[in-house]
Amino acid sequence: MTKIGLEIHSQLTKLESKLFCSCKANYRDFEPNTNICPVCMGLPGSLPRLNQKAVEKATMIAMALNCSTPEKIAFFRKNYFYPDLPKNFQITQLNIYGDTSVGGTGIILVGEKKIHITRIQLEEDPGRLIYEGSSEKNQITLVDYNRAGTPLVEIVTEPDFENPKEVREFLNILSDLLENLGVSDPSLEGAMRADANVSIEGGNKVEIKNIGSFHDLEKAVHFEITRQQSLHSRDISIIQETRHWDDKRKITISSRSKEEDLDYRYFLEGDIPWVRIGKEVKEKLKSEMPESISSKKQRYISKYDIPAQVAYVLSSDKFYSDLFEDAHTKENAKEVANIITTDLMGLVDTREKRASSKLKPFHLKEIADSIQSGKIARTSAKNALYEIVKTGKELSDVISELDLGNVSDESELSQIIESVISEEPQAVEQAKSNPQTINYLVGKVMQKTKGKADPNITLNLLKKKIQ
Amino acid sequence: MNIKISALQFTRDVKSGNISVEDFIAKTMEQIHNVDDNLHAFLSLNEKAVDQAREIDKKIKSGGKIGQCFGMPISIKDNICIKDTKTTCASKMLENFIAPYDATVITKLKQQDAIFVGKVNLDEFAMGISTEFSAYGPSKNPWNTDYVPGGSSGGSAVSVSAFECVASLGSDTGGSVRNPASFCSTVGYKPTYGLISRYGLISYANSIEQIGPLTRTVEDTAFMLNLIAGVDPNDNTTVDNNNEDYLKDIDSGIEGKKIGIIKEMIGEGIDPSVLSATKNAISKLEGLGAICEEISLDMVKYSVAAYYAITTTEAGSNLARYDNLRYGYDFPVDGYEFNSYIEKARKKLGPEVIRRMILGGFVPSAGYAGKYFLKALKVKSKLTRQINDAFKKFDLLISPTVPILPFKIGEKINDPAALFLIDINTVTANLTGKPAISIPYAISNGLPIGIQLIANSMNDKLLLQAAHALEKTVKLPEVPI
Amino acid sequence: MVSREEIEHVAKLMRIEIDDPTIYERIDKMMGYFDILDSAGVESEEISIREISIANLREDKYIPFDEKLIEKLNHYKGTYVRAPKMV
Repeated sequence: MTKIGLEIHSQLTKLESKLFCSCKANYRDFEPNTNICPVCMGLPGSLPRLNQKAVEKATMIAMALNCSTPEKIAFFRKNYFYPDLPKNFQITQLNIYGDTSVGGTGIILVGEKKIHITRIQLEEDPGRLIYEGSSEKNQITLVDYNRAGTPLVEIVTEPDFENPKEVREFLNILSDLLENLGVSDPSLEGAMRADANVSIEGGNKVEIKNIGSFHDLEKAVHFEITRQQSLHSRDISIIQETRHWDDKRKITISSRSKEEDLDYRYFLEGDIPWVRIGKEVKEKLKSEMPESISSKKQRYISKYDIPAQVAYVLSSDKFYSDLFEDAHTKENAKEVANIITTDLMGLVDTREKRASSKLKPFHLKEIADSIQSGKIARTSAKNALYEIVKTGKELSDVISELDLGNVSDESELSQIIESVISEEPQAVEQAKSNPQTINYLVGKVMQKTKGKADPNITLNLLKKKIQ
Repeated sequence: MNIKISALQFTRDVKSGNISVEDFIAKTMEQIHNVDDNLHAFLSLNEKAVDQAREIDKKIKSGGKIGQCFGMPISIKDNICIKDTKTTCASKMLENFIAPYDATVITKLKQQDAIFVGKVNLDEFAMGISTEFSAYGPSKNPWNTDYVPGGSSGGSAVSVSAFECVASLGSDTGGSVRNPASFCSTVGYKPTYGLISRYGLISYANSIEQIGPLTRTVEDTAFMLNLIAGVDPNDNTTVDNNNEDYLKDIDSGIEGKKIGIIKEMIGEGIDPSVLSATKNAISKLEGLGAICEEISLDMVKYSVAAYYAITTTEAGSNLARYDNLRYGYDFPVDGYEFNSYIEKARKKLGPEVIRRMILGGFVPSAGYAGKYFLKALKVKSKLTRQINDAFKKFDLLISPTVPILPFKIGEKINDPAALFLIDINTVTANLTGKPAISIPYAISNGLPIGIQLIANSMNDKLLLQAAHALEKTVKLPEVPI
Repeated sequence: MVSREEIEHVAKLMRIEIDDPTIYERIDKMMGYFDILDSAGVESEEISIREISIANLREDKYIPFDEKLIEKLNHYKGTYVRAPKMV
């Protein structure tokens, strides 16, 4: 019986400022130690100033994960020494005087399975260490505090996962959820990190830290399960310990036991009073919460008759659902959904591509409407899409520039159809006896017109001509 | 020129044109020159003070807008940050630390055209009650230089008492403003917790400490409070005082006010001359129309233990940042491993700080937290309830500030238990967040005795009125320097 | 009572190197003094707390610190801070 639990850290990258000061929350793109101030550097005499929106967003996350949210929250100090920690303590949340962290117990569904959330806490990210020097002898440790103080939400789960696949699914759901809430952009490097704990057959729990990506997490968990099973099969007991993931060797290694560092001397942070959130604020947050992914998915299926798989892809990616919301009409919804989830996907599958895309919702609407009205064929639409993503030009301009318009002129089509009929006598005979096979001939017409033949007109003309 | 005047008198004299700021500052710097080699109140001096004074005189002459301080010379305890000046906390650990920003109180006083004549001495990191734990040598009591000036804001009290400035800002964690004020015969004030911003005050025990003024008169303290009190967005623990004017109606008197005499603070171990001064003060207050009655706050018995449990815990955490990596003193990291470097670097901390760091590691640790730290927090709560109950019956509480007279330098430094008990009258106000003041009341064998008044939270105005009334009942001899 | 080993362990936790031999006795004495808290009878007491409303918290706004702060602190190789070797 394998049990896996997770500790996920998600940066609130959509905030403007850090958790306790007004430096920028998104520290990427700064030269080292240029996004700092006396507060996040923990200079003597500096004091933390709590970010109101961070508390709101963290509370929203708790609500989205169906967690209980307390009336008042409190902050604690976790004391330990490390160069990336300017104060040599981290301001975080705990529940030692009742429920004082921003989210209590909750549940989230992964397919049919219930995953229990233990708690959600708001805390600050430390700085970053950079190691220079090739050999261990001449290694130099450099510290960049730009990230110190970035707001983090830590989500702790019960050990409800039974295999790495479930873990991966959960992380995808969670990351989509956070993005959908508008609190974080999980695709930013380092914006979402996770540690795991693993135990088998009711044995001791082993924590795995230092996991760089979700891909590595799956590997690390898989390795650890195997390692424990191997020990178990030889009747060797599993020590309760913390191991770290060695990315080079793809194994977990026992962290040197630092007993003296395990006593964090937790106590209340005296510089931050308990924050009263209150019913009114919580109700306001609930009403401001963006529509959940599952609710969107249901709406797409029931209101627009969009197939379940398409609805799933559309709703779970905020970039797509935002486009869909602005581009669709009652009539073209299904078509817009289809375009996004087939043709568009390949063109905007990375952060960089999405950032440089010039496609606007109105473009999509026009394309969908044009396909439905027969103005262009679906294959032409794909080419138009490529061009619009690149240049942002109007659809009509693209159609004329690239000659993508459907061939609907009957006489033009007739000529092409005649040549196809003469080239494919066997197929014509087959089509006479078996009407289903006429599509082969339609396909040949499409080939000759580079996909621009109006499919309905083509089919009708073909049918007439082969009779 | 007479520099032995109050802050308010100074502002009146400058406004009326009787004195020039430059003359006064020059005379003050001269006084510092004359007495400080002996008294050692100052750790660093502002070499530009006279120039700054000259600028203010120019502004006055040209009819420009002048801040309410009119260039008055103020000393600042060296644990409060002034931008681009050395801020050492009297520690070798911060020997080369130059603060890159101003504390909020400094910003406010700068806006009011105050002149900071220098940074003054303290017990290292504000941990102590005699200023003997300064890494740069003790300060001396101007009343008798063989004696301690009290602490931890010893330098503040000495500089005010010896006319090296007109007012000072210190910090009070367990009596560190009131105690030296009492020992040096000045007024010393600890406001309601949250009344004055701690942004820029280098933290020792952040949940109970406050910056507080030391002045020659109670009116001067009210004047300072008007300039530095108020909610500060840089400090989440500050409270809104609705721009209260503490000087207005300060001479309202205390007719009909009920004053509780804290039994546990005039008990065993009190010096007879301190006791008789206290009794004298009580009868004077009764003469002014107050009604005085004894009250027992039995949690006071546990207040010192609770105080040290809480403050050592907070100090252990607040001082963890001093690992010499980002600032501190010159000590390169080459050849060292992380943990051993920090241990070596922190050897610059003084013995008292080290003792408190270790205690601060024990008290909240997993094994002892329930036994000591949690209990201390509960004593704090119960003491607060008791004092709140007392304030349902009384308007003010009274006690001697320190149960003993000032002692000789070196006399108690090796007896930490004895040192602790000196705090017993003052820590209650810190633990409960109540405002408290020490007023110079008597001199016994040439050594000063101060009387302490305590009011309920946010009743700072009432406290100052009572203190002013009591102050007017005595005329004390001048300090013999 | 606290043992010498316990004191050394805590000192290490606090990154303090002990070279004053009198410290053991002093710490032990002080910890003993804290025992007075056991007779305070406060088991049922609730800890007191200070409160602030979420409405009074800082607005989420990016305001860069107006100085090149790192130039006033220890810096190395441009704008990095150098730490000792991590084991």
